[in-house]
Amino acid sequence: MMPQIFHELKSAVVGIAGLGGLGSNVAVSLTRLKVGKLILADFDAVEESNLNRQNYFPDQIGQHKVDASLTNLRRINPEADLEGHKVRLTPEKILTLFDGCDVIAECFDRADQKQMLVETVLSKTKGVVVVSVSGLAGYGRSNEIVTRRISDRLILVGDTVSGAGPGVPLTAPRVGVAAYHQANAIAEVLIGNAGISHDKNRE
Amino acid sequence: MNATLKINGTEKTFDQGLPSTLTELLAQLEINAATVVAEINGDIVERKNFAQTELKDQMAIELIRFVGGG
Repeated sequence: MMPQIFHELKSAVVGIAGLGGLGSNVAVSLTRLKVGKLILADFDAVEESNLNRQNYFPDQIGQHKVDASLTNLRRINPEADLEGHKVRLTPEKILTLFDGCDVIAECFDRADQKQMLVETVLSKTKGVVVVSVSGLAGYGRSNEIVTRRISDRLILVGDTVSGAGPGVPLTAPRVGVAAYHQANAIAEVLIGNAGISHDKNRE
Repeated sequence: MNATLKINGTEKTFDQGLPSTLTELLAQLEINAATVVAEINGDIVERKNFAQTELKDQMAIELIRFVGGG
């Protein structure tokens, strides 16, 4: 990797809000990318029903997702700088736990929680970029999942319409497509901070 | 009186006058306020202020809607 890119990634701090299908996979990708520091937050424990799309293993059922993710990410890179918080995120906690982050990844499941995080980051912080996801349920239709730059500080991934519900399951491949869009958008923001030219071919 | 809002980049004309507030606009569009982030002329409007946010002709409104799944 180019030294300038490596330097920019090494000094970056990324917050990951939620460690489900999106967050557990975004964390894997950013750990492999060697992003300087990841701050992980989730209140939940691993359940059997999570294993169809989330980056956990059967022997981790019952563990906190934060603990299970820390274990898995350290297997990828024992030197990774990781901080975990077993907490249900509120606006106040978002501002304190993710203080100092360059980018925050919104990786929640519920629509109202997504709204809460995006509103909090945009209205209460300065300069922090939020990468959020809306519309990833079902399978197929990979190319309907897109990354859109809504504003300087908000990037939105997804097809905007496919909510999870009866008959519309969350599946590993399509959640994975969205998670890797999200990780790739974060990489672009962080590397873009180094002033290196990158693809601006977005709407 | 005709009035126009630019909603998510598309001009929308209101023949019977504008909805008076952001809350009223969301109700007309049948959007659940709990799942939308709103920006007016590039500035974020917090959800708690939707009901007090008055709409004016030619405003540019961005409504970012969230559906569940993650």
